[in-house]
Amino acid sequence: MRPISMDRLKIMLVQNGVFAAMILMAALFGVLNPRFLSWQNAVTILQQVAELGVVALPVAFVVMTGQADLSVGSIATLGAVLGGLTLVGTGNAAAGVAVTLVFGLVAGALNGFLVAYLRLNSFVVTLGFLSVWGGIAMVLTNGKTLTGLPDDFKAFGTAKLVGIPVQIVVLAVVVAVAGYLLNRTAKGQEILAIGGNARAAELMGIRVQRTQMQVFIAAGVFAALAGLMLATKLAAVSPTVGSGMELKALTVVLLGGVSFAGGYGRIGGVAAGLLFVGVLNNGLVILGVSPFIQTVLVGATLVAAVLMDSSIQRFVSAAWANRGKRLAEAQRLGRERPASQQTQEVNA
Amino acid sequence: MADVNAPVGARPPAGAGRFGLRDLTVEFGATRAVNKVTLEIQPGEIVGLLGHNGAGKSTIVNVASGALAWTSGQIRIDGAPIPRGSSPRSIAELGVTVIHQEPALAGNLSVLTNLFLGRRRSGALTARRQRAQAALREVGGESIPLDVPVSTLSLGQRQLVDLARGALSGEIRVLMLDEPTAALGVAETASLHALIRSYAKKDAAVVYISHRLVDILDVCQRIVVLESGEVVLDRSAAGLSLAELSQALAPGVVHQELVGTARAEEVVRVDLPGGRIDARAGEVVGLFGMAGGEQLTVLESLFGVGPKLPTWLDGQPHTPKRPGDALRRGIFMVPPDRDRDGLLADFSGKTNVMLPWLRGSKSAWWFDRRTGASIYQNSREVLNVQGPGGEVPVTTFSGGNRQKHLLARWMFPAKPRLLLLGQPTQGVDVGAKVDIVRAVRLLAADGVCVLVASSENDEIASMCDRAYVLRDGRVAPVERGPEMATALLDALLQLSGPSGDRPRPVETN
Repeated sequence: MRPISMDRLKIMLVQNGVFAAMILMAALFGVLNPRFLSWQNAVTILQQVAELGVVALPVAFVVMTGQADLSVGSIATLGAVLGGLTLVGTGNAAAGVAVTLVFGLVAGALNGFLVAYLRLNSFVVTLGFLSVWGGIAMVLTNGKTLTGLPDDFKAFGTAKLVGIPVQIVVLAVVVAVAGYLLNRTAKGQEILAIGGNARAAELMGIRVQRTQMQVFIAAGVFAALAGLMLATKLAAVSPTVGSGMELKALTVVLLGGVSFAGGYGRIGGVAAGLLFVGVLNNGLVILGVSPFIQTVLVGATLVAAVLMDSSIQRFVSAAWANRGKRLAEAQRLGRERPASQQTQEVNA
Repeated sequence: MADVNAPVGARPPAGAGRFGLRDLTVEFGATRAVNKVTLEIQPGEIVGLLGHNGAGKSTIVNVASGALAWTSGQIRIDGAPIPRGSSPRSIAELGVTVIHQEPALAGNLSVLTNLFLGRRRSGALTARRQRAQAALREVGGESIPLDVPVSTLSLGQRQLVDLARGALSGEIRVLMLDEPTAALGVAETASLHALIRSYAKKDAAVVYISHRLVDILDVCQRIVVLESGEVVLDRSAAGLSLAELSQALAPGVVHQELVGTARAEEVVRVDLPGGRIDARAGEVVGLFGMAGGEQLTVLESLFGVGPKLPTWLDGQPHTPKRPGDALRRGIFMVPPDRDRDGLLADFSGKTNVMLPWLRGSKSAWWFDRRTGASIYQNSREVLNVQGPGGEVPVTTFSGGNRQKHLLARWMFPAKPRLLLLGQPTQGVDVGAKVDIVRAVRLLAADGVCVLVASSENDEIASMCDRAYVLRDGRVAPVERGPEMATALLDALLQLSGPSGDRPRPVETN
């Protein structure tokens, strides 16, 4: 095994703090109510956060490029409403899904175009569309819940794949693809590069604006898909189905250690952030805590996440600088480094 | 030496400096920007502080004015040490005034408001106006109206407002000027110099930073040269000629013999209003001009990011719309500001080198720790990169080794046809300079055409087969020779005006 220095260990610990907090919280809930720690409840938690995860992971990429997307909640809502209206009108499930995804693509492209090419502030643009799409959903449904969805469509909401609820399968696929994209492809590194130093990225030949557009489109498409997933699960389309989703997604992303300034993020962190929110919500329900308190805690979690974001960045860069300084000092003094540490430098 | 423990404000013992640095060290992460600098400046003395970019000049000014924290050592005024962590305001109240090239004023607010910004106990409005007028009169700016927004003033006037802010704090005991004349005209420079002399007469210690040697020789009595954060020369300016000074500025530059490797084929040609630039394969050609001047515009234009100039590549018109177009044709550019425009701070050393090359290779859809490891390792050997392994953030490396990473990105993973280097050895230590020059010549010997843009004549002279001097669209060729560095300066002076006027700043857009 590769020897690990203290600095590296500290960095790993801090980066996985959310995961550790989630485990601690789950243990606490388990002590308070043993029912919490059942296999069935674990599945329930994953099922509950699946749509949120499908929304949050693409949003994580948007944040990594140094932008924000607040419109995803309403894209989910209107996507579900448009899909639902098509389904009720035509009875054709494929047509419904297609309409939803096309809407997600158009809404994401609109965000991307305004932010990347017209250089508008992403916060303002997406805040605007949060209102626009949410309002249109209300107008189209007259504020009423759509029912009468085709049965085969509703069946999807309770479907299982080799015994695993389909929502969890979708979530797993999205997490895996996101992890692969970020860690193993040029595109993922380019996305981080844009968030870290857009000018340098451009001078490397990276198509900054095009990539920015792509991440917004991905956020739009997956948000719309998540809206549809919620509709199948609930067997109805409410015109508020995705409301609040944008803030929850941002909470998850920031909890996951993605830098709000862009340029840094890990999919494992975002997944841990998602589980944290899932465990918190589920645990409070099982303990019978008032739903109003849940809202309070989600908000407090967001503040804690931003606080952690800044302190993690400070801590990690301080730890690296420390390490660099010691190595530089060692070189200055021409001191022989211990053999174990040398192997590590070579491997590092 | 003054008594270290003397309280602030006490009269200095005879012979003590007005402004002193004692073993001053400033570190940014792993980089030592200022390394044990000791300097004593007497009342009434004007000291010219010189050195290449990154030598630590501005860091010293920023530390002494409270804008940055120092790591160890002492800063003393009249023998009394400034406590570490002093705020800029409390240092200003000790009589330290700093004039920057671009004064840090709130442009949308009036002159009067700016004069009293951040100041406590400002007093009644009428009293304030009187004090403001008195302060402006003291600095020779009585013609500046108090109620117009600062943004409507000329640069020279804004510097006077900045200086008047210092005068309002009381006696100016230490006056520091950081490139004050870089964008000033002849008349404004002359009046600023007169003002500096008048403060020196009033026993202020003056630190004058400039790249313009003419200005340094005009006003300074003593010359201190910094190199990589250390004082390498400290002598009287009396009897120093321009040529000697420019020689002294480059103590570390190694003028090695270059072996010409130029081939017949012309790779690149650029038409400027006042002349033509061309370069052949295997040739290293310098573009010399004022700091921030058009030599960089030429590079950017060839790379597809700057204003469009008429350029030819291999005899064909070359009109890149974006960097990607240039990259496809084998034109790679190393931007002059490595940390702002080049490197990705949070990325590992290896990823910084390999990232532009992942796309289009089989690694675009699957790369891991091994991807590019051998290319990275080889380039580290060629450039003699020192430091930790390739998987730690590039910021962990020192300045020279960061620069080598940026160069490695564009020199080794793919062979360039035309390599554009912006100030490639700026702010790196002597050893790294030698390594970089060697690697560039190696590439040239392999048939690569290299253009080096720089505002430092020694940088050009240390690696180029020949050079062009650029100024206001005019072009003058300079051949390689033993006196190339001086020839470059002379040519720049000649381009500056028919009457041999001293260099005027280039308008950069």
